[in-house]
Order: sequence, then structure tokens, then C-alpha cells
Amino acid sequence: MTLAKDKVGIICCSGEDFPEGTISRVATRLVLEKLRPDETVTLCLPLFLAGGEDERAFARVFPTIAVDGCGKKCAESGTRKFSGKPVATIVVSEIMKKYPKLKAKSRERLDTEEMELAMKVAEEIAEKVDEILCKKVTK
Amino acid sequence: MQESHEVSPQPTEGAKVAIVACAGMDKALGSVARACAFTIVERSRPEETVLICIAPLVAEVKPYSELIKKHPVIIIDGCAERCATKIAAKIGAKIKGRVLVPQSAQKYNLKPKKASDIGPEGEMLAEKIAEEIAVQIDRLLGK
Repeated sequence: MTLAKDKVGIICCSGEDFPEGTISRVATRLVLEKLRPDETVTLCLPLFLAGGEDERAFARVFPTIAVDGCGKKCAESGTRKFSGKPVATIVVSEIMKKYPKLKAKSRERLDTEEMELAMKVAEEIAEKVDEILCKKVTK
Repeated sequence: MQESHEVSPQPTEGAKVAIVACAGMDKALGSVARACAFTIVERSRPEETVLICIAPLVAEVKPYSELIKKHPVIIIDGCAERCATKIAAKIGAKIKGRVLVPQSAQKYNLKPKKASDIGPEGEMLAEKIAEEIAVQIDRLLGK
């Protein structure tokens, strides 16, 4: 028997209203493509919210991390509403407080400074992924 | 009639048109939808449009849930799931136009690279769709 490898689902807000939403999106892709490609999958928030049963079922079974751009925490509240509370929530605007020199300015294209900020957020997401998977192993 | 040209011919009251894009994470076409929305609201028709963040709509967070009922809405869906349309319709948006990015990609024979980097063809596709939507916006506002 082959046991399915544990995965962590990442649901990001991708909000269009603030630059932080774009940071959430880019940071999530950095985790998926560079930092933890084998340990993570992304759940499409619009599909999840529109009634995508596969996405919702995944979030009911596997641990999820919500990545929100702002304090409205739409990714977290959407996940909680349809599948259960995410194991962790990362809020970009909160992380930015730790790096006051790094500013998010553009909703559309990230410059070098904004990419650095996105990488900081991505590293925090990756850290949470490791925590979650490690916890599961030691249970 | 191709779906990307669906539009109400009557001018609609209100000085702005609301744009709702899917912002899907999974596919490059979702990223094109997002890029297209920014092209319209930041460069092409900044005074005539308002961009609606899709996630807060489900939680009926103001002002998004109010704006989407107040203004005529143009939807940009990134894939056949049509999530943006479903979400907007569910909360009573006045949908006046819809674009399905895969259809436009086929129409213009342009293939975006990937979700994190749509590449030159993806950028061009976003521009082409934005041009079509700008025409729809002008028509809706009676210009």
C-alpha cells in the first residue's frame, strides 16, 4: 500500500484592491514553485467560494493555510465558512510591520523591494508548512 | 454570439462600471483576467470604472457588496468554471457584460506562459481583452 503524501493547501486572497493582495498572490506562488513545491498545493479561492466541491473537500481533509492581504481576512473566513478553520493564517499587512522599510506600492507589478517583501511572506508561509507537517509526523 | 461580446445595448444609469475578475491562482488564464482588470482600472478607463475585489463579495463585505449592486458589472472569467460570474450573480449584481478569457485566447491565438508569469503573449492577450471591454464600458455609459 502506498500512503498518500501529506500536503498543505494554501488559500490566498489574491485581493485586487490593495498591493497587499498582490503580495499574497506572489508569495503563495513562490512557496508553490520554489520553496515547498512538493509539500503544497494551491486552492483557488474564487472556485472555493463559488462552490468548487473538490477544493472544499480538500480543505476539509488536509491542513490549510490562509494567506490574506489585509485585516478583512477573506481567505480565512471563506475557508472557515465552507470547510473548517485553517490551521494557520498569514496576514501580509501584519508581516509588513516587521519590515517597515519594505513598502507595498503596486497592485499590478512588483518591483525589487516588493519582491523582497513577497519573499519574506513566502518564507513565513514555508515555515508554517514545515510546522504543520512536522506536527503531523510527531502526533 | 461569442460570449466575450455579450453586452446590454442600452446605456445604464450610473457614472461607473464595476469590473469583477476571477483572479484564479491555478491557471495562467486567471492571471490574464487579473492583468486585464488592472489594465482597465489603472490605465484604460480609470475614471469610469471601479474594481471589485472578489473574495469579500461572498462575505458581503461593504463597500464591495453595495458597489456591485449599484453599478453595471462586467465580469472577466479566467476559466470555464466561471467563478466570478457565479459569485456576482449570487449576490444580485447587475451583470451587463461577460468575458471568458479562454475564448479570447482562442480568438487571438495567444497563449499565456504560466500563472506566475503570463509572458508577452499573456500581456498582449490582456491588452486585447481590455480594449474590447473599454468599448463595452463606453457603450454602457452612453459615450
